[in-house]
Amino acid sequence: MLLIVALVLLAACAWLGFEMLRLRRANLALRAGNAESEAELKRLQSTQSQVIHTTKLASLGQMVAGVAHEINTPLGFVKSNVEVVGDLLDDYRKLVKQYDAAVQVCLQPVDLIFNADKASLDKLVKHVEDARRKLFEARAAVEKSPLLNDAKELLGDASEGLTQLSGLVQNLKGFSRVDRDGMDSMDLNEGIECALTIAQHQLRDRVKVVKHLQPLPKVRCMPSQMNQVFLNLITNAAQAIDGDGTLTIDSRVEGSQVLMDFTDTGSGIPDDVLPKIFDPFFTTKPVGEGTGLGLSIVHKIIKGHGGSIKVRTTPRKGSTFTVSLPVNGSGPSAADAA
Amino acid sequence: MPPDSMTDTPDAPLRILMVDDESRILRALKALLRDYTTYQTTDPLEAAALAKQHDVDVVICDQRMPEKTGVDVLREIKETHPRALRILLTGYSDLKAVLGSVNEGEVFRFVNKPWNNAELKTLVANAGAIAREAPVIARDVLPQAEHDRARTQVGVLVIEDDTTVQQRLREILQPYYKVNFANNAERALQIMEQQETGVVISETEAGRHDLTGLLKALKLHHPHIATVVVTERANASTAIELINEGQVYRMLIKPVRMGTCRLSVDSAIGRYWQLKQNPQAARRYVAAAPNAESTTSALRLPAAILNRIRSLPGRLLGNARA
Repeated sequence: MLLIVALVLLAACAWLGFEMLRLRRANLALRAGNAESEAELKRLQSTQSQVIHTTKLASLGQMVAGVAHEINTPLGFVKSNVEVVGDLLDDYRKLVKQYDAAVQVCLQPVDLIFNADKASLDKLVKHVEDARRKLFEARAAVEKSPLLNDAKELLGDASEGLTQLSGLVQNLKGFSRVDRDGMDSMDLNEGIECALTIAQHQLRDRVKVVKHLQPLPKVRCMPSQMNQVFLNLITNAAQAIDGDGTLTIDSRVEGSQVLMDFTDTGSGIPDDVLPKIFDPFFTTKPVGEGTGLGLSIVHKIIKGHGGSIKVRTTPRKGSTFTVSLPVNGSGPSAADAA
Repeated sequence: MPPDSMTDTPDAPLRILMVDDESRILRALKALLRDYTTYQTTDPLEAAALAKQHDVDVVICDQRMPEKTGVDVLREIKETHPRALRILLTGYSDLKAVLGSVNEGEVFRFVNKPWNNAELKTLVANAGAIAREAPVIARDVLPQAEHDRARTQVGVLVIEDDTTVQQRLREILQPYYKVNFANNAERALQIMEQQETGVVISETEAGRHDLTGLLKALKLHHPHIATVVVTERANASTAIELINEGQVYRMLIKPVRMGTCRLSVDSAIGRYWQLKQNPQAARRYVAAAPNAESTTSALRLPAAILNRIRSLPGRLLGNARA
């Protein structure tokens, strides 16, 4: 009996030992697997941040092209005006020199000759009259000269142009937020305005922009990411419109949410395309024209901010993208902050 | 006859029309060109009427304006007031605008904002002098009988090294014109030395060798030859150079379409034919000397080739009567 018990115990021990060994091995394997998936996760995260970075660069390229156009016009007249004002001042200096020369002639001493004959007296009178006439003419030339007024007007334009240029630079800075990346309180309306400036060259000639922006509370978010969202939605709207059309942007507060509508009078989204628009790498644009990442990034950024994006569309009539963000946003999680 | 031209004396100041939706640009140009009589409008829709009314010599027009593009304005002025030389002034050059400015607007020069004051002044002075002195060719398309005569006499030279494209162009052109084909610049020059060539159809590259230098040098020395560039390597800056320094007649993007290609070659032959009879008019199509900053400069052509290009005209026009 005892022997049997001992045997059973021994068997149990052996089995336990074996089981323990197996478990340990499984554990080791698990740990290795775990490490692998962690590595995989890290890789995916870094790919994702790279993708965000690439789209950032793509929108940067777009931005540069657009802003180049916006900058070149004021730059054109500022540069020209400053040079022309230099020429005008040179011309004015010539007038002043002529005036000065006339003054010098008048200042020449006139010898009074007693008992002079009539001829030399006449000559003297003529000399004085000539000198006075020249002085009068030179003075009139200086006074009537439009040069200074013209120069002033050109400088006024130049200064106006510089204000435009610095406004553009301000917008660019505001758009990229390179000076303060990361979380911040942001007026989303400002972001929309910024993105509209950047997208100007795509809209200007053909897309009319109608804004109904109501005052919004500041929202805690990643401003550079939100700007990217706005630029993307505006650019998409512009591209959806073939020829002339209207882009309407609404913003308002509803309860604890900030809502922003981007409505275009474009081609709309066909039913078979609609379910895929937020998928990464899905694009209807020809190869080389779109990355297919735009809306997926938009979606990701908004989700990361605890918000949502919805779309309503009617083929051939247009689409409305509605972004909703919590007023007391927590901002994106650490992984999204790439 | 427009009223202004009645009182024209040879040294009366040039009349310049400026069109831009930004009034400050107009004020800047007016101040820059203060030695001339200037007219200006921010409304592109009234530009053509103003050009005709004041019988202007030169039109400077912005490309991007709300109601109408610069290309459209210049095309209209080309039709209604062809004696004015047209300059397109633009802040951002997309390819479509550049191609439109050649093919539709037939611009004299394409100028980028911000412009260089001294260069723009010289350009306007030259353009104005040409507009006053050189006769106008109103229409490039010839009457049928004359066209038939022209196309049997005038050689059309194709410079292209891609055999498929060559074949395609052969199919399109051979039945109608005296066509020759060359794979490279050397062969092209040989053909031009032997035969009267009025139209050159060319890629921008052959066998990895740049051809734009050749096209520019050709136009610089022989402005009466009409060049049609057919390319797949289209980019705005090369195109602008080919306008300013190559005065290309047309610029087509591959694949070549039969209709467009025939139309272009027909009117190119017409242009050459009329310039041959009216050599003074060729001044209107004179190219600017290559810019030092050009990526592809005619200056980089070997001296031997440049000399051959320069000595072409005698043989060219000599052969015309042969």
